[in-house]
Amino acid sequence: MKNGKYILRLTVTLLLITAVVAGLLGFVNYLTEDKIAAGQREKAKNAMQEVLPAENYEPLEVSAEGINAAYRADDLGYVVDVTVNGFGGAINMMVGIDADGRVAGVSIVSHSETASLGANCTREDFRTQFSGAEGTLAVVKDGGTIEALTGATVTSRAVTSGVNLALEFVKGVQ
Amino acid sequence: MSTFITLFTISLNAILAENFILVKFLGICPFMGVSKKTDTALGMGVAVIFVMALASAATWAVNEFLLIRLGLEYMQTVVFILVIAALVQFVEMFLQKALPALYQALGIYLPLITTNCAVLGVALLNIQNGYTFIESVVYGVTGGIGFTLAIVLFSSVRERLEDCDCPKAFRGFPLALIAAGLLALSFMGFSGFKVF
Amino acid sequence: MSFKKQLKDGLLTNNPVLSQLLGMCSTMAITTTLFNGIGMGLSVMVILICSNVVISLLRKVIPDKIRIAAYIVVIAGFVTMVDLLLKAYVPALSESLGVFIPLIVVNCIILGRAEAFASKHGVLASAADGLTQGIGYTAALVVMCIIREFLGSGTFGKGVFGAGSFGATDGIRILPEQYPALLVILPVGGFLTLGCLIAFTQWLNRRIAQKEAQKEAVE
Repeated sequence: MKNGKYILRLTVTLLLITAVVAGLLGFVNYLTEDKIAAGQREKAKNAMQEVLPAENYEPLEVSAEGINAAYRADDLGYVVDVTVNGFGGAINMMVGIDADGRVAGVSIVSHSETASLGANCTREDFRTQFSGAEGTLAVVKDGGTIEALTGATVTSRAVTSGVNLALEFVKGVQ
Repeated sequence: MSTFITLFTISLNAILAENFILVKFLGICPFMGVSKKTDTALGMGVAVIFVMALASAATWAVNEFLLIRLGLEYMQTVVFILVIAALVQFVEMFLQKALPALYQALGIYLPLITTNCAVLGVALLNIQNGYTFIESVVYGVTGGIGFTLAIVLFSSVRERLEDCDCPKAFRGFPLALIAAGLLALSFMGFSGFKVF
Repeated sequence: MSFKKQLKDGLLTNNPVLSQLLGMCSTMAITTTLFNGIGMGLSVMVILICSNVVISLLRKVIPDKIRIAAYIVVIAGFVTMVDLLLKAYVPALSESLGVFIPLIVVNCIILGRAEAFASKHGVLASAADGLTQGIGYTAALVVMCIIREFLGSGTFGKGVFGAGSFGATDGIRILPEQYPALLVILPVGGFLTLGCLIAFTQWLNRRIAQKEAQKEAVE
């Protein structure tokens, strides 16, 4: 009988601890949930403003693989939210494309590339290479015009392929 | 066919280009702790493959059918570590009863695996990468194989380090880390290596 | 045990990373910029203090058999809280550390201190232990970051100083861009830097021990 009591005590103690932890987490989650969501929305909005400044962004229907969302930015063009696979994981980026079907700007929203190598894809001198481009792009190594980042060809290829996805999508819409 | 290619790419990446220990830095503690002899390293490796496969399957199911349904994704870390701890305990009890011979060989490594960050790491990465059930299990198994490959290779290097002549301050652990660094250097050759 | 002695222990003679050789995964993985190092160090310090205090409070209530499971739940709870708070208030840090924040749960330093110290000592001493071990961990990370960032990117204080948005600043350039050895930032560099740093600590600790022995012999 003593044994049974001991086991009961073990179970109850562990259960209590877990319940308290779960309760506390629920509370912290409740406190932070809105803030986290707002932060993410803000970030996406800032990225959209950066690549193609407009008053209104009207969402479009999308079904292509790798494209999360697309918006018509007034009469100025389109903003496409693309996710591609980089070296360290997914790279989420916003690509702005103007009314003539040329790239207006590229912004990296989130990535998990190696610091100081692939992570340099957020640098302006890399991103501005895409501005004004049209058609299908490729890095220099693959016979294109985009200068890859030092030591991060995979990341550079991934970003380039993301821009291509966006260009192709907009071509289909126009 | 394309599923097969995806699985193949995941496997190759998990074993070589994104080796859990040498590239992703997950599971360094057992890597340094249990790599003094090749046969113990192999034992640990096999135990890790086993637990990582089970943990991938279990945590994927718990996440998909319980956490997402209830909107409790933020509890992932707590739930996953509990699932892993319970799983390891269960495997230990099961082996002890059903396969005593295997238990004799692997038993001592099992408790250590709960706090092996490669196991929790694989569970979290499966979710982060948005893998399906099959992809998760394959990632778990091949990640474990990558772990085993690294630890077995390293243990045979380390057996020789034991009686080499080096500055006093470097003796033991620091020298082992430097050797591991050279091993990581050779695995860098696989990086950015894509078949398809 | 005096706080001063604990501090010296945490920083040098019993440094969690450099002497106890715990928590090496995160030490090598994230120490590529100063921003990451400080962020990770402080996160671990906060979690370590909290979990030490709670475990020390509960040390008489938790039955021996399930203590590890109970510790893990407590630690995982604090880690998730820190994770959520970082996501809400310092998203830049939470993005750059990625999966290594939830992985603090299995960082051996926290479970190790819970088992070795907090489960046997009072609340105040445990809090002090969490603080000093946390300082030691942060110090080890910061030293690793400074070395790797200097040799690998040629900068100081990436993410903290210099131009750019918080968490992604360029840092202060010390070496011209073409000189740094990228290798040091890569995984290989993590192993090599930590190896040399531990060797240095071993040498230093031996010197300190020798000096103390000499002093005693003279007296």
